Amino acid sequence: MSALDDHDMRGWADCFADEASYVCTTRENEEQGLAVALMMDDTRERIEDRINSVTNVWAGTFEDYSTRHVVQRLSCVQRLPQVFVVKSNFIVAYTTARGKSEMLAAGCYHDEITITGERPRFQSKRAVLDSVITPRYLVYPV
Amino acid sequence: MIVEDAAPLVRWPERFNEVPKEVFHREDVYQLELERIFRGPEWHMLAHVAEIPKRGDYKTTYIGEMPVLLVRGDDDQIRVFANACAHRGVQLATCSRGHVEHFECPYHRWTFSIRGDLMGAPGIKDFSAQFRREDFGLRPLRTSQVHGIVFATSSVDAVPLEEHLKDTTDYIAKALGGDGNLQFIGHQKATFACNWKEYSDSDGYHGPLLHTAHRLMKWPVAKGVQFMTERAHKVTSIDLTHVPKGGTLNDNSIIETHEEGLMPHNTVISIFPLYIIVRNNDTINLRYAFPRSVHETEVHFAYFARATDPPEMVTHRVRQASNLQGPSGFVALEDGAVFNRQHIGSYTAGTVAFQKGYAGTAMHAPVHLQKDDEAGNLIRWEHYREAMGFARA
Repeated sequence: MSALDDHDMRGWADCFADEASYVCTTRENEEQGLAVALMMDDTRERIEDRINSVTNVWAGTFEDYSTRHVVQRLSCVQRLPQVFVVKSNFIVAYTTARGKSEMLAAGCYHDEITITGERPRFQSKRAVLDSVITPRYLVYPV
Repeated sequence: MIVEDAAPLVRWPERFNEVPKEVFHREDVYQLELERIFRGPEWHMLAHVAEIPKRGDYKTTYIGEMPVLLVRGDDDQIRVFANACAHRGVQLATCSRGHVEHFECPYHRWTFSIRGDLMGAPGIKDFSAQFRREDFGLRPLRTSQVHGIVFATSSVDAVPLEEHLKDTTDYIAKALGGDGNLQFIGHQKATFACNWKEYSDSDGYHGPLLHTAHRLMKWPVAKGVQFMTERAHKVTSIDLTHVPKGGTLNDNSIIETHEEGLMPHNTVISIFPLYIIVRNNDTINLRYAFPRSVHETEVHFAYFARATDPPEMVTHRVRQASNLQGPSGFVALEDGAVFNRQHIGSYTAGTVAFQKGYAGTAMHAPVHLQKDDEAGNLIRWEHYREAMGFARA
């Protein structure tokens, strides 16, 4: 969370296992059985490409905003000795250059976390937004 | 009593390539647009038949600010209705998409069939003497389809859809992959803090200057056409070359064309007033849009696969749709920033001027344009000016 709120994309990517998946979609698409998402980084290559998009390709083209993720864990189930399935609620506030804070999205994370050595990392992270309609665009992952 | 002529709502600039900034934020102009354009003789793109494939499937959306309901009847016909109970006008369907046996209004329990007929109303024996059940079906709108894309209008004066879309339909087929035989794979929705005309001026057109992504990928753009139709629609179709590996992306598949026997292309049909059909590589995308107010525009991006696609092709299209276009898309994201900033800038005095592709001082713009020209928008603005009845200074 602190990596995301600091816009530290490398730090965000390092929270994922070597082969991992990040998907950000809406509850509407999920409930209707529709596979299209807002972001679909289902391979390490895609995760690396997202870092590059945010930090290089889009740099200077978008109106920047800062975020604050507030996350509340709902459940944590140990599925294998080194694998945990975690469900959490999130609310993300965003603030633009104008200085006004508003809600960017609310939703639920469905995560699979593996522990390698001492270090927990996301094997897969699914951010499912209740917010079907986002204000303009999502630059940073949620 | 002497009544003086009211001052004209907007005095349009003398120069053909200029548009007054006030039309982007004036509430009185917006109210007139709802009447003359959104309830006027235009057709509005609402859905593809693949979004409601089964009998009883429905979709809700908007024409301007008017809520509408599309439903596939038990005769497989798709009808479009005002999304309001025929009794006291309560919004009837609230989900964006769903399936019903019939529609029931929660207020007085009037029920309507999926063909829009009034089936029952409790207390019917106490109704007024003039009440006839057949007068109280859901209010239908004129509807017509092109390659499975459903259009509707609340105007009796709109020309037939085929005439309205003249010269675009071959390109629409090209964008969809030949015909309308599609399957729906999902949507993305965003709202932009801009006037709908700022959205329609920019989405579907904005020179590649904006798209750093193209530049970094060393994506050489080959030849293309851009032209305007008589009804102020814009068609752009550009042949793409295959993107060389080793560019900026580790995973090139989101910008590759896998469809067999197909040369990659980017084909965009912008339909007046603000609807867009986009084909980019293997992404098939319809963009429905509607104003929420003079200051806000909502855009729904709907994505499709071909109905005949094998599963791996569907997966490829899903991945591309989820990463390339749309509000967080690799080559589209920064659009939103421009929309919002255009709207803020519209509160400065004067006019905006279109330059590229507009030569000299003519009172018309060329119909055939270079692929990156912006002058085509002037034909759309001329259509807008006439529809709104704004005289030139």
